[in-house]
Amino acid sequence: MRKVLAILGREWRAYFFSPLAYVILAAFLLVNGFIFYAILNYLATPGPKGQALVLLFTNTYFWIFNLFVVPVIAMRLFPEERRSGTIESLLTAPVSEGEVVLGKFLGALGFFLTLWLPTLLYVAILRSQTRIDVGPVASGYLGVALLGAYFLAVGTFASTLTKNQIIAAILCFGMLIPIFSVGLLESMFAGAGKDWLNYLNLWDHMDEFARGVVDSRRIVYYLSATALFLFLATVSLSAKKENP
Amino acid sequence: MIEVQSLTKRYPTQVAVSDVSFSVREGEILGFLGPNGAGKTTTMRVLTGFLPPTSGTARIAGHDIVRESREARASLGYLPESAALYPEMRVREYLAFRARLEGVSGPELTRRVGDAIARCLLEEVADRKVENLSKGYRQRTALAGALVHEPPVLILDEPTVGLDPAQIIRIRETIRALGRERAVLLSTHILPEVDAVCDRVLIIDRGRIVAEGTPQELRRKLAGSPTVRVSIRGAVDASAAIRELPGVTEVEETVEDGETRLRVITAAEADVAEDIFRLAVSRGWILRELARESVSLEDVFVRLTHHDDTAKAPEESSASEAQA
Repeated sequence: MRKVLAILGREWRAYFFSPLAYVILAAFLLVNGFIFYAILNYLATPGPKGQALVLLFTNTYFWIFNLFVVPVIAMRLFPEERRSGTIESLLTAPVSEGEVVLGKFLGALGFFLTLWLPTLLYVAILRSQTRIDVGPVASGYLGVALLGAYFLAVGTFASTLTKNQIIAAILCFGMLIPIFSVGLLESMFAGAGKDWLNYLNLWDHMDEFARGVVDSRRIVYYLSATALFLFLATVSLSAKKENP
Repeated sequence: MIEVQSLTKRYPTQVAVSDVSFSVREGEILGFLGPNGAGKTTTMRVLTGFLPPTSGTARIAGHDIVRESREARASLGYLPESAALYPEMRVREYLAFRARLEGVSGPELTRRVGDAIARCLLEEVADRKVENLSKGYRQRTALAGALVHEPPVLILDEPTVGLDPAQIIRIRETIRALGRERAVLLSTHILPEVDAVCDRVLIIDRGRIVAEGTPQELRRKLAGSPTVRVSIRGAVDASAAIRELPGVTEVEETVEDGETRLRVITAAEADVAEDIFRLAVSRGWILRELARESVSLEDVFVRLTHHDDTAKAPEESSASEAQA
């Protein structure tokens, strides 16, 4: 586990040495600043406003942002080490492929969560001015963390498949689109099909989380999907070793 | 410490390493010599577990590289050819990271990082970022990263490539010192390096071992007959007299620029230089030059790895010699 932490720490810090990290951070704050402004407008209208912060997690921008930014965060994980050659000393150290994958994934997840850190300021500002329910905010952040883990696991897998960062990002995007949109087809079905698709409807899940509904089935889905893609990444990394 | 048994690595389109066997003892530095593309890097990548072997086995400090890969990797330090580092890290941070990957922690970590910095002469740059370092310092940082966990086996792929002469001398001294208590496998295509650093040499060409021995043995084995070069002032007929000396097998004579130049080829163990000197004194020749032509390792190397048909025959005979 110490070795995983060592990889995690190196990976997380490496993000802040690339200009890309700051571009992502700036874009993220811009989008969220706009959403915060929308929340304030909404609060200015009459009526009960306890769940105004739901908007932070359930809006079109939230999804556009995650679908585009996660591939960019994850794309460098393995391709960069392959290009520079550091992969050689990493994989010849006494660490398993699984530990390498896990450490890198957690480093990327750490960066993703760091992006969300400044939004806690919005929560603090709103709380100082009005009554805000803490529960839904907390479960909203839990939803963000679970979704981020799922998407980044897909991105980690994609980045083991190629030496090229751009291709890794496109592969990740190509996998995230069906993962995201299959649940949206829910409304076209009825009965069992609808239930199944609802289980995969990420948009609905985020709505639930943001309203304070923590359904254990959702958590199981996100965690098992994350585990599946990390497993695939480990297998892919081992296979690359056989056939570089 | 390193035992390699008929190791073969095949790529889809070519055989990179073919039936290679050798071993390196503790306290020994084995030079792995060969032209570019001979299979040195591939062999090292297989030994370090970066690539799986197609067939054959190898043991690092007693651990099978396939079945006990993790233990084998824990016993070795590897400096890859690229000597790649993370540019954003400081030297000390990088070494601490490498030590953690090897499972070192706590006060032990601080001590070993300090040791590696001292050993590789990195004190001046220990708190600088890798991206701001010169090539020489980067190379030494990578070397420090390979030995920070004090492994019994070191595998160094072209450790001096891209360094200036002063740096080369320093890094060779470091490697020599390391080799006293470890088994070191070092690849190079720079010949003086082998003479300067290695106890034993393995010459590899097109994936096969073509010669093995100490630098002196290789020279002796492959030098052919010892030759003495003689220059005498004026045109004198020296060759007839010299040919009479014991041990001399052949004399080539040329006269130019008012000098008689001779190449005296002798039987293996004969040393005719002194006899020639006495002969010159008694005949009143004025000797301008009297020198043994030594065969450099370079000649040996070129002879073994030169790929045209004229060189084919000696290459094959030496290969069978090496395996015998």
